[in-house]
Amino acid sequence: MSLTKVIFLKELRETLRDKRVILGVIISPLLLTPALMGAIMFFGSKKAVEQQQATLDVGIYQEAAFPELTNHIESNEKLEVTRYDSREDAIQAIRDYKARAVVAIPHNARIVFQSNGTAPIEIIYDQANENSGNAHNRLRGLLNQFNREQTENRLTASSLDPSFIKPTEIKSTSIAEKSAVVGFALSMFLPYIVIMGAAFGGLNTAFDLCAGEKERGTMETLLVSPASRTQIVSGKLYTIFVISLISSICSILGIVLALSFGGQIIETIFGEIPQISYTNLAALVVIVIPLALLSSAALLIVSAFARNQKEAQAYIFPFVAVFLFPAALSFVFGAESPLYTGLIPVLNIALSMKQLLSNAFDLPFFSVALASSLAYAWASIKLTANLFQRETILFRS
Amino acid sequence: MIEANKLTKTFRDRKRGLVRAVDRVSFNCQPGQIFGLLGANGAGKTTTLRMLGTLLEPTRGTATVAGYDVAKHPEDVRRSIGFLSNGTALYGRLTAREMLEYFGRLNGIHNSQLRSRVDELIEQLEIGEFQNGRCDKLSTGQKQRVSIARSIIHRPPVMIFDEPTTGLDVMTSQTIMNFIERCRDDGLTVVFSTHIMSEVERLCDEVAIVHHGKIATEGTVSEIKAQTGEDVLENAFLKIAHQLDAQAEAELTR
Repeated sequence: MSLTKVIFLKELRETLRDKRVILGVIISPLLLTPALMGAIMFFGSKKAVEQQQATLDVGIYQEAAFPELTNHIESNEKLEVTRYDSREDAIQAIRDYKARAVVAIPHNARIVFQSNGTAPIEIIYDQANENSGNAHNRLRGLLNQFNREQTENRLTASSLDPSFIKPTEIKSTSIAEKSAVVGFALSMFLPYIVIMGAAFGGLNTAFDLCAGEKERGTMETLLVSPASRTQIVSGKLYTIFVISLISSICSILGIVLALSFGGQIIETIFGEIPQISYTNLAALVVIVIPLALLSSAALLIVSAFARNQKEAQAYIFPFVAVFLFPAALSFVFGAESPLYTGLIPVLNIALSMKQLLSNAFDLPFFSVALASSLAYAWASIKLTANLFQRETILFRS
Repeated sequence: MIEANKLTKTFRDRKRGLVRAVDRVSFNCQPGQIFGLLGANGAGKTTTLRMLGTLLEPTRGTATVAGYDVAKHPEDVRRSIGFLSNGTALYGRLTAREMLEYFGRLNGIHNSQLRSRVDELIEQLEIGEFQNGRCDKLSTGQKQRVSIARSIIHRPPVMIFDEPTTGLDVMTSQTIMNFIERCRDDGLTVVFSTHIMSEVERLCDEVAIVHHGKIATEGTVSEIKAQTGEDVLENAFLKIAHQLDAQAEAELTR
């Protein structure tokens, strides 16, 4: 058995006995992520339904009567309407949460309305309050409905057809299948989660295998064994890589589980239960391999440089930025990004995942992303191996 | 055997500039002999032993361990030595048996022989009771026994001990010192660093006093006492150290 394999198998065995790793790499993505996503989707959809169906307290303040409008508002069953005598009272009621929003009708509004003019109507609300914002939206919808009805009345009174003010009828037809729409929605956040899994899944392992060994004194024992530095660094790197890969796969599986259990909720949002094909799943795993290699090597560099695990934790912030920023950029870039973005590490992986999930697979982009990511991973591994040859790094004190 | 010839190690320090941690250290150690490096903390003992163990590369000078040049054949050197320092340096999440098997494999012991060698050491060092216990759950004494077994699993002809008893209680220190004596009796070449005078008097056939990276004097304990006119080794050591400090100060003011 080669010494690299001996070291790899020992490191893997020891790592898999570390409860922190099991919790962070397997249990958390497989159980916590689906549970959290499910909870967010459940409460999100529940709140959306509640907001649509709840009876809201609103108010009317009128300087002069405008029965056509006030009757329209008061006839709505989902509104509890209170009248206010002054603007100040209306504003105070909003501040005291007695009314969520108030329709203010100026004294000349009805006169203008009756003379076929545009009556000024105001909705007073608190933009910093979510419930007030919902009431504002509900009232605005109601007022728009009133406008449409009155416009039709005016057109009829003028013996004009409603098409008079509607020269065109616009209809949008999407050629995308519903599954592609769901895939597009998934592609917005899934790459980010998978990249986080790959980048940070191996974090504890990397810190334990190098900075931790230095701290506990076992690194010296290992270095004085017949294993060469290259064999030692390779054994450790493979271990971190395997853990990062497991973490990424568990992140993907966690989302698949969330989609399976939260399918009904998603169906109410997108109109279809989302499904990721086995081919796409396999492609996601393939594209994540170079990323896991790159992050493993980068983590090992941080860990090799640190004198102990505490110091390694301090060095992690630049590492987080290097991986988080390009991953976050994937929210901005669309799936059809220019070819040069295939050269930007981490972002290229995120964009490839986006393409895979939203049926916008681009083979040249995928090839550039895969090749450049492998090149970056190779360079990082070389750098790590080089650092392991340097006494000033391994015996920093 | 070990032959160190003008071993020198310098490194660059931000505050102190170029530091000569070990300065032209030369000594020989034969099989069946314990050679001690006696010195205060920071004298250069650990750096010397790390060069012999191929952990550090000498800036100048040469050394051979069991016939292998430390610079040219580092892997052969490492295969020929057992290294034990003051920390037990065990992997907490491995059992005592797994620990021994791991280092056996690292030292190239074939699976067919590994089991019997591990069993032999477990019996010899009375590890049996806790062989399947995780190393992080063992007492200091138990850990030290596993550590000893780990260092000799590949039957090395040379043993290097770097302050092996520092921080240990009397009982565990005794176990280590008995083990060092047994290594000598078994014909191994033993190099041993310490700052504890009683250990030198008990163990060392020859000793070198290391001060500021240099060997100040070398010989048997009796020779060093006679050389300084002192009856107690500690006084002899202090006398030599003070003389060297005074010389260095005089050179600076000259």
